[in-house]
Amino acid sequence: MIAFGSSISGAEAYRRYAEPGIHRAAEPDSQILAYAAVEPVARTYNLILEAAARLDDLEALVLVHPHTEILQPDLCARVRRALSDPDVGAVGCAGARNVTGIAWWEGEVVCGNVRQRYEEHGGGEVSTVRWADHLPPPAEVEVLDGQLLILSPWAVGQIRFDETLLLGHGFDLDFSLQLRQSGRRLLVVDLEVLHHRPIELVGDLAVWVEAHIKLAEKWDGTLRDPTADEETWKRRARRAEARREAARAVAMSESLKLDARVLELERQFEAMTSTASWRVTAPLRALNRRRRRASLRNVQPPDGA
Amino acid sequence: MIAFASSITKPDVYARCAELGISRARQPDSEVYPMPSVGSIFKSYNAVLEHFAPRDDLEALVLVHQDAEIVDDDFCRIVRRRLAEPEVGVVGCVGAVGVRSIAWWEASVTCASFINRYDEHGGGDLPSFSWAWSDAPAYARMGEVETIDGFVMALSPWVVRNIRFDEDLGSFHGYDLDLCLQVREAGRKVMTADFRAIHHRQLNMVPDPEQWIDAHIRLADKWDGRMGIGTGAGTWRDRALRAEADTDAALLLAQMNSLESDARVNELDRALLQTSTSASWRLTAPLRRLRLSPSGRRRPELTPRRLSGGVAGADGP
Repeated sequence: MIAFGSSISGAEAYRRYAEPGIHRAAEPDSQILAYAAVEPVARTYNLILEAAARLDDLEALVLVHPHTEILQPDLCARVRRALSDPDVGAVGCAGARNVTGIAWWEGEVVCGNVRQRYEEHGGGEVSTVRWADHLPPPAEVEVLDGQLLILSPWAVGQIRFDETLLLGHGFDLDFSLQLRQSGRRLLVVDLEVLHHRPIELVGDLAVWVEAHIKLAEKWDGTLRDPTADEETWKRRARRAEARREAARAVAMSESLKLDARVLELERQFEAMTSTASWRVTAPLRALNRRRRRASLRNVQPPDGA
Repeated sequence: MIAFASSITKPDVYARCAELGISRARQPDSEVYPMPSVGSIFKSYNAVLEHFAPRDDLEALVLVHQDAEIVDDDFCRIVRRRLAEPEVGVVGCVGAVGVRSIAWWEASVTCASFINRYDEHGGGDLPSFSWAWSDAPAYARMGEVETIDGFVMALSPWVVRNIRFDEDLGSFHGYDLDLCLQVREAGRKVMTADFRAIHHRQLNMVPDPEQWIDAHIRLADKWDGRMGIGTGAGTWRDRALRAEADTDAALLLAQMNSLESDARVNELDRALLQTSTSASWRLTAPLRRLRLSPSGRRRPELTPRRLSGGVAGADGP
């Protein structure tokens, strides 16, 4: 039996996104372990693991973020295939190799048809971590994206999420590293998934930075080669500080370029809509809008509600 | 005599930017020395220094990037006034204090009287915070700084004769900070002054990040804590881990901004398409054809300086 679990921090999000996806993918005997979120996310996930570990016939546990919608109807069949290798500890829809920190997307990303849908600016959809080149699944990775984590019964029974991590940042990296340290493999398989999330991927970057440091300290020697002495740390610090300031300068340049692009279009739009002819025909457009609204009101929904 | 010099790799850019500004700023007796580049900016500028060092009548040497345009007619008066203090070695219009690396803009910038003028996306201007003193924030002031931005820098005769750019540092990045550090180490001052310039450059400010990173490290190693360069809080381990985290945060922020911007572009594209395919737009097309729209790009007007009031500073205008 393949179980589904979710830490529900927003009931509405779960109802709109995760739940329909779970119902799309679940099998008749699937159990759904939906728990109200207890901060941090690792604590709720551990509750779900405890509950799942008590299920005798568990084949896999699918942990679904409330904002994640599974679009893959045959997910269970694909999961079963991937977990048929007993060395595989977890499966996901996205992940990466050569990861050096909680920003796993800075490594070599492996990802199937995983997209992000946002509502800002009239809404839109983009490929997840679209800035990275995506290697196609199936492939073994070092870290799985925590938006959708599919765990083997062994992982459910033996590994726990680290509840000491700051606000849960990097819980997926930490869990992945624990699994690999225990000799298990991680796989990204081809799964169609949609993340419904805002454009702002991380709300508080200062907290995220602290979490990054904490995880780097915890996994020092695993994420990067061990740093032996003070002189080696100095070289590493010098390069890191230079890279940081370059990254900030490049980010600022990119931001200016993007602003210029937006400004260009705004000027174009303003030039179009500030013409006398556009202003003169405003009543015509207002009339059309009213007509469209009226015709929409007259259309009955198909179910007659 | 106030001399002007540039190291030129693109004569057309020099003609359009630096030459235009120099012709505006120079005085009848000024010598202008447009020198084709002889390699790195360090090497080229050293050649310029050698050229002017023997000149007894030199009051100042103004080094101007080929893409920098001085906008003040009274530039020479401003420079002369600033260099009248004998301990002043370098003068610029952009400067900062608390500088720890070649990324001087990461320090506390006290004066930034320039515009970054770009050509991409129809062109535009990005005025910095003290371009118009009337709108400048409380931290804007003129006076002593630790470094200036080298795109326009005026050097005292003492500097021209006694200091050289360090050619071991690379090809471009950090030449200005290193010169300022040498000047300050020699007991002279680096100052900002009330002149303004336009930097005609692309929006991509670090087109060669790897070279920039190398220059950053080389300069940090050279000064290694002296004059505050290469210092930071915590142990080397603390600094490494924090900087690595900050780097990933900067990259993430850039991606979020890019996503936000693309979403806005898509929104505007949709609005433009909706407008241009609407019945009323098509209906009024003949009217628009009658109207000749002026070509050319928009630029903000050059806001006049308000020299007489409203600006507080260490030794404000």
